[in-house]
Amino acid sequence: MDKRYTYYPGCSLHATGIAYDKSMRAIFTKLGSELVELDDWNCCGATAYMSVQKTVAFAVTARNLALAEKTGDDVVAPCSACYYALKHTSEGLADNPELRSQVDSALAAGGLKTQLTVAVRHPLEVLLTDIGIDRLVAAQTHSLAEFRPACYYGCQIVRPFGAVDEDPELPMSMERLFSALGARPIDYPPKVRCCGGMLVATFPEVADELGKDLVDWAIDGEANCIVTVCPLCQSNLDLMNVNESSNGRSHRIPVLYFTQLIGLAIGCTPDEVGMQHGLVPMSANAPPLPNNEAPLTITGARES
Amino acid sequence: MGTNEEPRIGVYVCHCGFNISATVDVEAVRDIAATRPNVVAARDYQFMCSNAGQDLIKKDIEENGVNRVVVAACSPLMHEPTFRTAAEEADLNPYLVQIANIREQCAWVHSDRAAATTKAASLVNGAVSRVALHEPLDPTHADMNPATLVVGAGIAGIQAALTISEAGNDVYLVERKSTIGGMMAKFDKTFPTLDCAACILTPKMVSADRRENLHLMTMAEVESVEGFVGNFKVKVRNKARFVTDACTSCGECLNVCPVNVPDPFNEYVSTRHAIHKAFPQAIPSTFVIEKQGSPPCMEACPIHQNAAGYVALIADGRFAEAAKLIRRRNPLPFVCGRVCYHPCESACSRGKVDDPVAIRGLKRLAMDWEREHEPDPQPDPPEHDHAEKVAVIGSGPAGLTCAFDLAQEGYKVTVFEKHDKLGGMLAVGLPDYRCPPEIVERDLDYIRKTGVEMKTGVELGVDFRLADLLGDKPGFGFSAVFMGLGAHRGLQLRVPGEDAEGVVLGIDYLREINLGRAQPTGKRVAVIGGGNTALDVARTARRQGAEVAILYRRTADEMPADIEEVEGAIAEGVMFDYLVSPLEVVVADGEVTGLRCVDNELGKPDESGRARPVAIEGSEHVRQFDMIIPSVSQRPFRTWYKSSVPEKGEIGFTKWDTLVVEPESLQTGVPGIFGGGDVVLGPASIVEAMGQGRRAAEAIDKYLQGQPLENFTTHVAPPDPVRGFVKRPYEHGPTYDQIEKMPRARLEARDPAARLADYDTVDIGLTEEQGIREASRCLHCGVCVECESCQNVCPPDAVRLDMKDEIVELEVGQILVSTGFKSFDPTRMTPYGYGRYDNVVTSVEFERMMNSTGPTGGQILCKNGKPPRSVAIVHCVGSRDENYNRYCSRVCCMAALKFAHLVKDRTDAELYEFYIDMRAFGKGYEEFYLRVLDEGANVIRGKVVEVQPARGHNGDGHLVVRAEDTLIGRYREIPVDMVVLMGAIEPQPDAAQVGRTFSLSRSPDGFFLERHPKLDPVGTTTDGVYLAGCSQGPKDIPDTVAQAQAAAANILAMISKGEVIIEPVRATVQEHLCGGCKTCLNLCPYTAISFDEKGNHAVINQALCKGCGTCVAACPAAAITGAGFTDDQILAELDGILAPIGGRAI
Amino acid sequence: MTTLANPMAGPTAPGVLPKSERDLRAAFLKEIERIPGGGRLNQCIQCGTCTASCPVSYAMDITPRQVIAMFRAGAIEELLRSRTIWICASCYHCTLRCPAQIQITDLIYALKRIAIEEGIFPKKFPVHVMSETFTNNVKRYGRNYEVGLLLRYFLRTHPTKLFAYRKVGLALWRHGRIRIRPSKIDNLEQLRKIIAKAETFDLPQETVPKAKVTAAVGYESIGR
Repeated sequence: MDKRYTYYPGCSLHATGIAYDKSMRAIFTKLGSELVELDDWNCCGATAYMSVQKTVAFAVTARNLALAEKTGDDVVAPCSACYYALKHTSEGLADNPELRSQVDSALAAGGLKTQLTVAVRHPLEVLLTDIGIDRLVAAQTHSLAEFRPACYYGCQIVRPFGAVDEDPELPMSMERLFSALGARPIDYPPKVRCCGGMLVATFPEVADELGKDLVDWAIDGEANCIVTVCPLCQSNLDLMNVNESSNGRSHRIPVLYFTQLIGLAIGCTPDEVGMQHGLVPMSANAPPLPNNEAPLTITGARES
Repeated sequence: MGTNEEPRIGVYVCHCGFNISATVDVEAVRDIAATRPNVVAARDYQFMCSNAGQDLIKKDIEENGVNRVVVAACSPLMHEPTFRTAAEEADLNPYLVQIANIREQCAWVHSDRAAATTKAASLVNGAVSRVALHEPLDPTHADMNPATLVVGAGIAGIQAALTISEAGNDVYLVERKSTIGGMMAKFDKTFPTLDCAACILTPKMVSADRRENLHLMTMAEVESVEGFVGNFKVKVRNKARFVTDACTSCGECLNVCPVNVPDPFNEYVSTRHAIHKAFPQAIPSTFVIEKQGSPPCMEACPIHQNAAGYVALIADGRFAEAAKLIRRRNPLPFVCGRVCYHPCESACSRGKVDDPVAIRGLKRLAMDWEREHEPDPQPDPPEHDHAEKVAVIGSGPAGLTCAFDLAQEGYKVTVFEKHDKLGGMLAVGLPDYRCPPEIVERDLDYIRKTGVEMKTGVELGVDFRLADLLGDKPGFGFSAVFMGLGAHRGLQLRVPGEDAEGVVLGIDYLREINLGRAQPTGKRVAVIGGGNTALDVARTARRQGAEVAILYRRTADEMPADIEEVEGAIAEGVMFDYLVSPLEVVVADGEVTGLRCVDNELGKPDESGRARPVAIEGSEHVRQFDMIIPSVSQRPFRTWYKSSVPEKGEIGFTKWDTLVVEPESLQTGVPGIFGGGDVVLGPASIVEAMGQGRRAAEAIDKYLQGQPLENFTTHVAPPDPVRGFVKRPYEHGPTYDQIEKMPRARLEARDPAARLADYDTVDIGLTEEQGIREASRCLHCGVCVECESCQNVCPPDAVRLDMKDEIVELEVGQILVSTGFKSFDPTRMTPYGYGRYDNVVTSVEFERMMNSTGPTGGQILCKNGKPPRSVAIVHCVGSRDENYNRYCSRVCCMAALKFAHLVKDRTDAELYEFYIDMRAFGKGYEEFYLRVLDEGANVIRGKVVEVQPARGHNGDGHLVVRAEDTLIGRYREIPVDMVVLMGAIEPQPDAAQVGRTFSLSRSPDGFFLERHPKLDPVGTTTDGVYLAGCSQGPKDIPDTVAQAQAAAANILAMISKGEVIIEPVRATVQEHLCGGCKTCLNLCPYTAISFDEKGNHAVINQALCKGCGTCVAACPAAAITGAGFTDDQILAELDGILAPIGGRAI
Repeated sequence: MTTLANPMAGPTAPGVLPKSERDLRAAFLKEIERIPGGGRLNQCIQCGTCTASCPVSYAMDITPRQVIAMFRAGAIEELLRSRTIWICASCYHCTLRCPAQIQITDLIYALKRIAIEEGIFPKKFPVHVMSETFTNNVKRYGRNYEVGLLLRYFLRTHPTKLFAYRKVGLALWRHGRIRIRPSKIDNLEQLRKIIAKAETFDLPQETVPKAKVTAAVGYESIGR
């Protein structure tokens, strides 16, 4: 058994993001790493909270950090919004003493305290650094040759704190990962442009506009799926498949989680990674890799 | 006026308008000063620096007997000279004046008036106590060397150099590049007047070239600067140009140079040859060859064969030249083309992309081509003719190379071979299918043409003795001997039963077969060993119809044999058995019946670094064989030795029977007798042996010419060649991962069955087409591949590929630094897509595009060759941006407007200028701005944040720029075909190091710092060193030229003054304190200190001392003090400063 | 209160802003003090990088750049009444690219908080309800509950719109992506205590903003 992580699914992964949850658990098990769900975690406060009361937002999130310190394992937060909120809290408290003291006393009221000792990480970064592309390739059993993903990073894993250590304007880690696994990622210029997921309810027409643009880029680039790292992005883009677009063009394209694609490559079944939850069925398949022949060896005749 | 008299101090406090009086209570300071000891006059005045102010001082000196002066005012940098002169005019020694800086260091940096006043008073007190102890001093004078060094030959450097030399002084104009002209030479038009950059620049370049006393030094860099104003000593490195000034720039070389690399002068957009001239009007017009170190293949080769050279020629389809080039350095080209173990390929950079270039195969192709097309190639006749005769013993690769080189040098050479067949191992060691006799014969034939005489069937120790060679018997009388005896004695396994019938040593087996003698071969043959010899034996035995197994004690990975050989053997059905060692040859009634073996496993690495095989308990077993051929290793024979002891000296042997030779010269214990090849190295490769033969030839030549055996020039390859250059084949070239993969040509082999039937060569060579394609995989490491074709065609014979850098020493009085700038690299701003999208270009690339000598001959074209339908020009790329550079680069706005005009002028394109603030600050600039507006440019106030390709198939590849049109407060996406990025002006990447060389300070933005932003914008804090142009800060051409003229004026002023005043601050030894430790003696940079043995104390030569203070600090007895900075004076100043003011101490 | 969208918003007498503006400015500056590097907004050169990097600026009535301009002009109230601060999807692209390294996204958060504290909103524009519904959700369950969130939001805003969402709801439902019952956390008490305590710190408080910010943005008179 490899490294162990504290798993912070966040609210979405229990509902609209169910496929993300399934695929996370599936691939981490397959790769021999343990995900332990944080006991009695509460909502991260997300970004909506920030606009109401700053201290409360920090305090609510800090509770999760405090709980996570019981084991001290790194916290893995798949939802970009959660990832941002948790990271923003632990860093924000670290360099703002005033806020820190306020939050401390708030936690104290609940009989908790935090040392800000646990690291907050996104699964993409965990898979790339702790496990690494080489090991993923080594673990590969199925071919992704049929997949032409548009790798979409969205906002909060590249901004304001980069989850993966690379150029926030032009991240390439998913492209590198999936090319290594034999897929053929397309060139996808809008990969870090906001999907508008936050605005689905409040400004539906704006959210629709942004989502449509991202989907159009993918379709024009001849991608056969969009790969996301965040449940909000996934839902928002997947819903493009429902809303008939104004310009008459149909926007049907499967929207996957990067964890689902990895899962398929390392031999998880489509059900295990929750492919059934996508609003558009994935046309491409991941057939098993052909076994390569044993290397030729020559030895002399021997009698003893 | 002496110092014995009582000090009478006058204190003068300056208001400096409000500058001081606003924060400091000047009157209070004056009154406090008045109370200090020895102060006889204390006054304040609005402006002490005014004549009226100075008169106050003079008056007091003349009428009130003031003999010490303290002025409390601004920094001494500003007005110390003023007040010193005033004192002098009143006949008071200027060094009896002391300045207290109460402005910069007090008034300006404080807000609390009370505290500031107290501080000012204290500073004045310090000065008062100090000045009381001042001594009158007399400055010394040094001559001003009228010669000037100008570093950097852009427009600034050229202009200044012209002005200074115009006045009749020598100027050294040092430029790093191959031509003068700098950035301006790349431009097309200049704003706001739109005159052509070349038209106004080249006349200046030409006159710079013509002018007698203006010494151009291109491809040169300043290495070090010593001395001081008026007397600088400068070391300049003249980098090798590889072309002499005999060059008439006729351009013949351009037709033959096979190398093309991206052209720096065109911002790497177009390509140029390795030999080139930066641009048509370049000055000097001498061509230059770009060399970035020697190609790895060549470095790895023991005979320094210029592989990259002939590969490039082959890629050009120039086989004849390729063959000629190969022969220049290789006496055995046919042999090497087939059996060399090619260290060049192990070193080939291409191996970092996919696979190394098939260099050996290409060499074979070139030589086979020669055989077909030039039946009778002739070597060039030797340049010299020497009477001396040289004997070469052994006709192997070492002997033949030695003989060849010496013959080419003009010596009479005789080769003695004991076998009837020439070639040494090539003839008797290598099977014919690898090294066909006719091939060896062709090489021998060429060597014979050089006049080498070859005698066969004569054996050292049998038919003649070493002594005979050196003696004067008829047929002998040689002046030097080379022993290339080889290593022909096979080693035994040292196991029981080895002497039985049917056990034959590999090397003997091969020899017998090769010489066509009767040599039986068994049915089941075991070959012991893993080297090339073992492989040769095995494959030969297969051809003799035997079933063959190779037994090797380690695994395939450790096998020393060439991979091609192993593959060949496998194909021919040789069986391999790894990890077994023989224990005993099983013999039944005198005949071999088998081999008892033991299995091994790999253990710890041994001294050779390879894993040591360890026998596995109880794994012993017997295998059935009827012949055993041990081929583990060879050693030289020593049988000749006892019978041929030379008269004088001794020939030494190692415990491996190899000759002991002096490593550099390869000379044995006996003078004049040299050795090389296997007899020295033990069993080694052909080309290594040749390398030694070559070195020995050089040594023998030196020996015969009576020169010392040192400073050898023949190449010595590193033991294991490094794989290529690190990241890319040459600067600014593509990195290895950017280079498109291209499979290595595979040499076709004959069908194994057919091979076993005869001894013909195994592989079929490359066809010309295959060869040209394969050769085109070469990456041209280091740019120039040394194919020598330019050398061969150059009419005035100006090419010198062996040219070296040289260091020149200059003596100059003053230095102007005008090293220019670097243009911002937009790849740092990813969203602009520079480098990712075609048609996103930098401003300099755009300048080149519009220049008639540029890549497009002055046309504005997209990558697809079409003119743009619309162009976006983006201001402030990397300027006015906290993430890159805070400062404004000043020139971009106007340059951008110039571009706008030219685009409008030369195309029908729509034009968009995206600016933040339009800075048109110069004379005629605003008018130019308005003119461009008139011409219909669309100016949009807003910064472009990203450039993206238009989405969709109907996007026809155009781009989209995003910006806020801030004047209408609206987000806009504008489709364009081309985007021009106005990159920031940045300091040169090596500004820090250049700054150290000339002891210049730099401002936070990295540009060189002027002495004063307003009052001395061209001087620096180092006397005699000046600045001009963009190395001091971003500026346009008019400002640059103006600054250059200003610097020239300062320099000329100093020259006409003819001398420099050296502050009389000098060190003196208080003899009674000196302990005579002599510490100071070797510390003094000006060697001004000597030692008086009688008085046992150091003596300082006042004329030489520069007052640097090194010795003062170093003296353990504090016996040395600096005049003007004595310990007493400094302590007194401190006391004064710390003295309580108005009851409160500070 | 000055009339909203008054083009003359800004100083009423030399160096003096209207009372309401002064209070808003004070509140805003207080928030800025709590944002690391908040004071950098003085460095804005109005280049529009923020607007051009903003994926939703096209839908804003005041561009992000103008937000700073209007703050400088002393028209914060007008700002608070704009759609702009509520459309911001906090994607941080402006912050990432700002050549003056201004924390624009955080400044807009600050404005949202002030808007809620001061109860100043755009006409017929209940976006903040989303945030409030959201936070109430958290208070009630400790977790967010998408369905409840949307239902409550639309019921409180424009119930008619719910109809438009039936298709979406159905699609998600069919693919097993909707929970009808909210999931609660066990130790709800603890969370509520924490929130209650934390809320005490977010109540509006009178403060004197530091000079360095005010000085640089003019209007020394504030806080006198």
